[in-house]
Formats: sequence, structure tokens, C-alpha cells
Amino acid sequence: MSDRAQRLALLQDLELMMQEAEDPARKEKEEAMGFPLDGMAKLEKERLKLLKHIPLADLRTYERIRHKYPRAVVRVAGRICLGCFQTLPTSATRGVSEDGPLPLCENCGRILYWT
Amino acid sequence: MTAEDFLSYFSEARFVKELRSRTKDGALSEMATVLAQDGGIGDPSVLFEMIRRRENLGSTALGRGVAVPHGRTTIATKTQVVFARSRKGVDYDALDGEPCRLLFLIVAPYEDRRQEYLPLLGKIVEVVNEEPVRGKLLEVSTFGEFQQAIREAFRE
Repeated sequence: MSDRAQRLALLQDLELMMQEAEDPARKEKEEAMGFPLDGMAKLEKERLKLLKHIPLADLRTYERIRHKYPRAVVRVAGRICLGCFQTLPTSATRGVSEDGPLPLCENCGRILYWT
Repeated sequence: MTAEDFLSYFSEARFVKELRSRTKDGALSEMATVLAQDGGIGDPSVLFEMIRRRENLGSTALGRGVAVPHGRTTIATKTQVVFARSRKGVDYDALDGEPCRLLFLIVAPYEDRRQEYLPLLGKIVEVVNEEPVRGKLLEVSTFGEFQQAIREAFRE
């Protein structure tokens, strides 16, 4: 996974975690099991720190896709995009250069990453 | 959930008889590496970061020597659990101050179509809530013995 795609995957995990923790029904269930969810301020700090390490263009791409789908970054398994489950063309490659475009699924437009 | 359903989330490759690390981050990193290797996740660092951040949201130590770190991540494709034991105990910042000796790491994908993540988390909490079960899990030395202890817990 490229560092750029990895940072976006980390951001996505963090933002979805915060989103779930803000859901009252979810919070109630977890707290009833014995897991307090009281560290939102810490997570927000981490999010702001992480944002500083993401190029603005990547962030714009990520935000644009997040407006359309709940998850902007998806895994590739074999040659399948796990966002839309379409087979990627053979030209889709796992390599992302530091200044090139992010790899996007030709079908759904989500950001692809390979593990 | 039957015992076999419950056990289907575990595997021999994700059974850690004795953790090497006694620190919270060290133990979580060991468990993330085990899951990454067995779960086809690749780089364990994304997994570890997710788990570490989940701990910042709120400790997953339940007290009485048990911790259930858990979370969802983009890089997971299915719900899996790592069971790890530490006879010496991991310093986990539990509210009761007890070191954690039994750890269950649950990692799930966001596309949880079977909606299995929270029920599984709840079942683990229910199982380890029983003192005799905790006692047996502290003594198991093979995955087979672990399976046996879980089956007995479901029968009782």
C-alpha cells in the first residue's frame, strides 16, 4: 500500500470510528457491555494531526468521494474492487507514485488500495 | 449463537498461548501482527493504528484480568478474533488495576452484512464474565483445549 493511500485508509478508519461513537444507539450498546466511549476529544486531536500529513489534493479527492459513498477508500482483493465488486482492468496497478494521481476504480470512482 | 458459531471466529493460527510483551501497545501490536499474517491483511500497521485509536476512544479492559480490544477497519474482509493469554499479565490501565491475562482482539470490516460484530462482542463479554470460564482459559495450552473450554462454557 502506498503511504498516500495508507494515510487515507487511516483517516477513513478514524472518521468512521468517530461517526459510530456518536451514534447514540451504538454508544449505549457498547457502554452497556462495559466499554466507555469518552475519548472523542483525543480522537479529534489525532484526526487533525493526521490531516496535516495528507496532501490537499488527496484530501479533496477523498472528501468528494465520501460525499457520494460512506467509504471512499476500498481494498482490492485479487483484481476485484471491494467497493463495487467489479473486476479491475489489468492496467490497474498497485503502485502509486508520491506525486501521481490516486488509483481510482474505473467503475465506482472509489480510491483503491492493495494490501 | 451456538458454541460452534462462536468458535468459527477463532483459529489455531490466531491462538496465542503466551504473549511476549507485557505492555499494552506491545501486546496489541503482537496480536495485530498475528491477525495480519493469518487474515491476509498485509501490513499490520493500519490495523494496529485502528486498535490504538479505539483504545484512545475508551479502554477496552473489562476488569478482572480481561480485555476485549475491538474495532472495524477498511482493511478487514471478514470478522475474526485473536485470543491471547499472558500468564504474567499485561499492564492495560484497567480501572480495577489488575493486569490483563486474557485478551480477545475482534476486528471486523465495515460491510458487516451479517451484522455479527456487536453480537459477537456481547457474547465474548458474556462468556468471560463467568469466573470458572476465565479460570479454564487461563490454563489452556492448546487451541483444542481452548475450544473445549468454550464448548463447556456454552453448555453451562
